[in-house]
Amino acid sequence: MSYVRTPVRSWCKYFSLTLLLSMLSACGDLTEDLSPSSDDKRATVTAGTTGYMPGQLAADFFISSSAADTFQLSDHLATGAEPADVVVLYFTMWCPICLAHSDHIYNVVMPQFAGRGTIVYGLVDYVSGSVSAARASEQANGYAGSDFVTLVDNQHALMDQFNGAMGTVVVIDSDGTILMNEDYRNGATLIDILGQQLP
Amino acid sequence: MSTAFGFSSSAWAASCCGGGSASSLVLPKFSQAMVDVSLDFESYDGFWKGDGSWSPDPAGSDLNQYRLNLGYAYRLAPRWQASVSLPYVWNKNEYASFSRNTDGLGDTKLSIWYEQFDKVACVWKVKKWQDLIPAIYWGGTLTLPTGTSQYDGVDDNFDITGLGMYRLDANVLFDKTVYPWNATFSANYGKYLERPVNREYGTYVEPYDKQRGDRFNSSLSFGYTHFTEEMQSITGTLAYAYLQEDEARIDGVVDTTSGMQKRSASATLAWASEDRNWVAKLTWSHALDRDGWGENFPTTDVVTVGVSHVLR
Repeated sequence: MSYVRTPVRSWCKYFSLTLLLSMLSACGDLTEDLSPSSDDKRATVTAGTTGYMPGQLAADFFISSSAADTFQLSDHLATGAEPADVVVLYFTMWCPICLAHSDHIYNVVMPQFAGRGTIVYGLVDYVSGSVSAARASEQANGYAGSDFVTLVDNQHALMDQFNGAMGTVVVIDSDGTILMNEDYRNGATLIDILGQQLP
Repeated sequence: MSTAFGFSSSAWAASCCGGGSASSLVLPKFSQAMVDVSLDFESYDGFWKGDGSWSPDPAGSDLNQYRLNLGYAYRLAPRWQASVSLPYVWNKNEYASFSRNTDGLGDTKLSIWYEQFDKVACVWKVKKWQDLIPAIYWGGTLTLPTGTSQYDGVDDNFDITGLGMYRLDANVLFDKTVYPWNATFSANYGKYLERPVNREYGTYVEPYDKQRGDRFNSSLSFGYTHFTEEMQSITGTLAYAYLQEDEARIDGVVDTTSGMQKRSASATLAWASEDRNWVAKLTWSHALDRDGWGENFPTTDVVTVGVSHVLR
């Protein structure tokens, strides 16, 4: 096999190298995924402080539901008008992963804990942008009339408050303490926490 | 959108007599190296739910991802070649209430291929049974998580450009050309390596181990080549692809909300210069927005334009 150095070959190598370096340099934080860590880096939380971390208190919020009602967290705490043992918030953007999670809550978690205390299940819709659009998304994905309350987070207030993202699930007890704030994963942590918390 | 990052560019390669592939970054026989640059325009159009039913994206959304793919393949020995491919990813997502544009490096792929043939396997006429023997390539690919994943310091899922997992793939490619017709079959089986996770979307969490499910991908294509008087070639190819990923495991426990399937069809038009050193390609890959054509995965259209240059 002959190897003939040509201007085209040199140009291609130069171009490739330049493009490669440009791509790498454009990525300032070159990911920690190449060497993932198993260290527990969670910050220490002071009980009684308000925030989004487990162990902290959730600040009260009120937000529209897809039924155009106002949903206020404090209404569902121990001293509220409609007290619940637990409030579960799931952040959805009506995507495949989101629907797999919310279907799992609907088909597995809800039946498993039916009759064990009062649980409010909220779907936090942060993409639809309006009550009517959230209602349409709810209907298109089969949740109209379900035990989920769809909360219309069109200003991303709940996303900001709980540092939420696609698939985040937040569990708040009747005192307003956050028990869980992490990705839904396979639902095991949610089931564990509900199992411990409910009568 | 994170599940979308299993993409492989459909515009790689030389796809000329003597091997090369339309679906993998594979050098034609007897060539020394190849540079390949392509651009993917991927448009999201709903998704399949876990039961296979199709559902539209929220009203008012316009979800797109663009990828610039740089590939380089190099011959190590008469039967051995290696390649690297590196994407740069732009996410452009618009919803009714907000829009987000982010970009970053994607996941890098390193491949090595063994050619189970010594001479060009493309023929003009079948005169003996040996003329029907295809070019066979065996390969291995290592995916490096150089992209930004949900386990990095990101704000949310819109910043994601990679899966955050190492993956090892075993690949096989059969390619047969009896001019003017061509058929290709490729398959790969990939295994993700388990990794520890201590952060999700920028928030540190109690550490756990995660392993995505094994991934199987196959593609079957048929093409027809027309030669001009100057012996430039124009090839049209139709392909069908199937992609499946098994359920993930979290701390060894199966995640029943994961796993996915996708079926898609594509059409490619490729032009090659008379010396086959330059190839330009245009591919349209389409996933049917109907029930039963996928599970737990976005439905997308991908238009790819690319050019590759073979160094003899």
